[in-house]
Amino acid sequence: MTKPNLKIKKRIIFLMFLFFISSVALVVRLGNIQIIEGEAYKKEAFSQWSRDITINASRGTIYDSKGKKLAVSIKSDTVVCFPRDVMKSIKTVEVEEKSDQNSFIFNFLNMFRRGENDNPMDLDNDLSANEGGPIPNKTPDEIADILAGILEMDREEIYEMITGDTDYVTIKRWVSVKQAEEVKAANLSGISVIEDNQRIYPYDNFASHILGFTNIDQAGMYGIESTYNGYLTGEPGRRIVNTDGNGIELPFDGFEQYYAPVDGLNVVLTIDEVIQHFAENAVEKAYYDNNAKSATMIIMNPNNGDILAMASRPSYDPNNPRLPYDETMKNEWSGLSGQDLQNEWYDLWRNISVNDIYEPGSTFKLLTTAIALEENKASMNSTYFCDGYVDDIITETPIKCWRYYNPHGLQTLAEALQNSCNDALADIGLAIGKETFYKYNKALGFGQRTNIALNGEAFGIVNSPETMRDVNLVTQAFGQGISVTPIQLVTAVGSLSNGGNLIKPRLVKQLVDNGGNIVHENPVEIVRKVFSEETSNNMMEIMESVVSQGAGISAYLPGYSVGGKTGTAQKVVNGKYSEELYVTSFIATAPTLDPEIVVLLIIDEPKDSYYGSVIAAPVVGAVIDETLKYMNVQPVYTKDEIIKLEKSYVIVPNVIGLSLKDASYELDRIGLKHNITLDNEEDILVKDQYPKEGIEVIKGSVITIMLN
Amino acid sequence: MTVMEMENKNSMDWILFLTTLILVLFGFIMVYSASYPEGYYNFNGDGFFFFRKQVTAGVAGIATLVLASFIDYRIYRALNKLIFLITIVATLSLFTAYGTEAYGAQRWISIGGLNIQPSDIIKVTAVMFMAYFLEKHNSKIKTFISGYIPVFLLILFFSGIIFIQNDLSTSFVMAMTLGVMFFCAGANLFHILLTIAGGIASIAYLIINEPYRTLRIISFLDPFKYKSSYGWQVVQSIYALGTGGLFGMGLGQSRQKFFYIPLAYNDFIFSIIGEELGFVGAFIVMAFYIVIIWRGLRIAINAKDQFGAFLAIGITSLIAIQTLVHIAVVTSSMPPTGIVLPFISAGGTSLLIFMGAVGILLNISKKSI
Repeated sequence: MTKPNLKIKKRIIFLMFLFFISSVALVVRLGNIQIIEGEAYKKEAFSQWSRDITINASRGTIYDSKGKKLAVSIKSDTVVCFPRDVMKSIKTVEVEEKSDQNSFIFNFLNMFRRGENDNPMDLDNDLSANEGGPIPNKTPDEIADILAGILEMDREEIYEMITGDTDYVTIKRWVSVKQAEEVKAANLSGISVIEDNQRIYPYDNFASHILGFTNIDQAGMYGIESTYNGYLTGEPGRRIVNTDGNGIELPFDGFEQYYAPVDGLNVVLTIDEVIQHFAENAVEKAYYDNNAKSATMIIMNPNNGDILAMASRPSYDPNNPRLPYDETMKNEWSGLSGQDLQNEWYDLWRNISVNDIYEPGSTFKLLTTAIALEENKASMNSTYFCDGYVDDIITETPIKCWRYYNPHGLQTLAEALQNSCNDALADIGLAIGKETFYKYNKALGFGQRTNIALNGEAFGIVNSPETMRDVNLVTQAFGQGISVTPIQLVTAVGSLSNGGNLIKPRLVKQLVDNGGNIVHENPVEIVRKVFSEETSNNMMEIMESVVSQGAGISAYLPGYSVGGKTGTAQKVVNGKYSEELYVTSFIATAPTLDPEIVVLLIIDEPKDSYYGSVIAAPVVGAVIDETLKYMNVQPVYTKDEIIKLEKSYVIVPNVIGLSLKDASYELDRIGLKHNITLDNEEDILVKDQYPKEGIEVIKGSVITIMLN
Repeated sequence: MTVMEMENKNSMDWILFLTTLILVLFGFIMVYSASYPEGYYNFNGDGFFFFRKQVTAGVAGIATLVLASFIDYRIYRALNKLIFLITIVATLSLFTAYGTEAYGAQRWISIGGLNIQPSDIIKVTAVMFMAYFLEKHNSKIKTFISGYIPVFLLILFFSGIIFIQNDLSTSFVMAMTLGVMFFCAGANLFHILLTIAGGIASIAYLIINEPYRTLRIISFLDPFKYKSSYGWQVVQSIYALGTGGLFGMGLGQSRQKFFYIPLAYNDFIFSIIGEELGFVGAFIVMAFYIVIIWRGLRIAINAKDQFGAFLAIGITSLIAIQTLVHIAVVTSSMPPTGIVLPFISAGGTSLLIFMGAVGILLNISKKSI
């Protein structure tokens, strides 16, 4: 037993000194990391923990004036990815592979370790067995394969997304419930299923030019979705969560911050879903019957400017705005790509009612006449002589009346309009004079936007008096050489119907919150008084006579005193009036005794017949009939009408539940018409009818039937 | 009164005992905190999974410590051949286990229902045998043939058998510990310097010729550049320490333990201490280790015989080196290797062996001059 000598003790003290120095060095190092550079590391650590998740606010609903939902948002599952969590799985897997491949010792040791992991109760095994978290690591390749299978997407596309250099990427929106379940069950690191809003348009291809649609990011494109986007969107909320190393949210309280989203406001339109349907059916009929380029209808309440319906064909389904309207269009589009296809889409999405201008033709004669009456340049007793040619001004080629081969001869003011006589209107126009004509054009809103709540409204083209020659005044008096938008014409003619006020067209009535409180009400705005009450009444009388005795006869409805005017304008092609292309239109108001609606139908480039009296008036007549009945406007019959009608009243039978064929025969038997004209299976069943069974109607009335 | 008690001039080193006990109890809390996510997610929501094991091992550890403090340390010298045999058997048991189809009993030595890994035992038995060897051949220790060569071969042997069953890091700690014992026993300084030079050269050779290790060194030099691969653990550890700052996030408030730091309750537990308790907490923990090292080496100086001194040096160095390496790895002061922090890290075998070793130290302290 030797005792430790002094030398050993000295070396032990030296060893103690070494350990102490090493410890001090480590304390310095620790202090450097924790205190001096601590804040910088802390910041990086915080950014690696936190995930900033946007919570979309629920987009507001768009209602019609009766509270029917035209556009709604629903919650729908969306698959998203945090690429850095996916990339992290590469790290773990790669390191394992590398050490497996590169280290002989590692392999050698693994032989000894075989089976170790099977026994979870071995104290020391647990400590080395699992370096990962709760999720089995998968490579991005495996994740892409799995997702491609579940979501039915291109594998490469997914791989690009999940390995991209971004914090957050949406892989697929609005997946089915089953797909969402499968993705959740697959438990892939970095992949989450979140709730997202999806825009649904329950009526599909309906009022699409009014509503517009939303893009993939829920931003409104076109229509009310676009103009009221700010109100509909609301304010998105945010959730900042801390996640563990596998991208799983930490399950404990206090680690997250939540900013609640503010839901968007709901928009109540002035549109009435039923009347909109009448208009949709009418333009559809006009579009197909005439093989037209387009057909457009606006129905407005002239008393407050409310747009009750606005429809065009062709149109689109806002749920799938990039699909062609019908088979014909599909064929035309096939083979198109890139810019060409995009241009086709843009055309389809245009709202003709406000975005396009056209020459109104003879419908404009109503306004010319009203200006003359207001300015006392004409009276109800004025007479005009038509010799077939406008001879008060000198032109290279003489301006003809359309019936120059059989001149109208002497006519009253009302007759001149019934005849749509150009010769007479030329006289009236010249009597008004350029300055006054221009002044009224401005007063009626031409050449300016109506400021309806839709994007891209056109201005129209109105000549100023300085640039106007007499020939321009004459042609513009009968609606050529002046360009207007359909909404401008409806608004202007509305001023004839409501006692002389130009009223701003209103499309959005109010904004309401989810509690039903009205947040904002758009008031009725009278822009200005253009005509006197007397002029307005006179014009109603004239318009009524055009329908009851003139070119608008096919819009005649007993009891409803329809007033209207046809218009057929040659289109300008390459600066010249085309011999083949026409815009045919009919504008009407009813009942003229106390107008409730103004209806305009425009048929662009009809193929067979182009006279408004033939193709446009009957369609408008039918719509007025349906609409006034729906609005419960009581018919007021003249004596003549009563005598005629007494013989011709019939009681509406019940046709609900019958096949289309049987219903048609039944209605025909008792002298009623029905409104189904498109191709339908003859055995399809009738779901509803209007008017209902037992109501007395005039023989020849149109029964609206709705099919299954 | 027995003869043995007559010999005891000093009572046990209570400072060492209490410091150790405090570290072990503190370890329970830290293991619970750091292992909670792992237990929660991987053991059916059982956040206490590792905590329970640690407490079981700790209780067994206290029993072992007390028992060892009453066993006369000189018995290990007397039983040196048995000690060497245990080392060999412990190593061989692994190979027999591999040969059999069913793993289990042969691979592990079962004490009190706990399974113990041979390498942990070998760390202590190697120190014991080396202490015996150094005392026996102390007179010739300075010579090259009779002193340096046998000791060098012994060190190579002990670290070698650990190297083949565990990993480089434990083997490195073993070699360092035995080397330190050799140094204190009066080795020729020229031999020591030569060995250090040779060691550095061979380590450099190993690193350069193994791309995997080269990458580790490169990633150690700039861990943030390899943040998503080899630098991951180190970067996460530094984040944890940085997040802790001066006073820490508060006990149990670590976020890095949620699978950002792999083996947070084990190879990187000091990062979690730094994150939850800050620089202040980490510093206090280090101070406790310095106290243990100081007491351990003080026992060595005051030991009654050379064997006791060498044994105390070996045990203290084992604790000191392993602690320093752990903290160095966690602070990215040396290339990352997996090594547990004595007394604190989760791991029953390690805790039991280290507490037993402290028991031996305490026994030496009782018999000091």
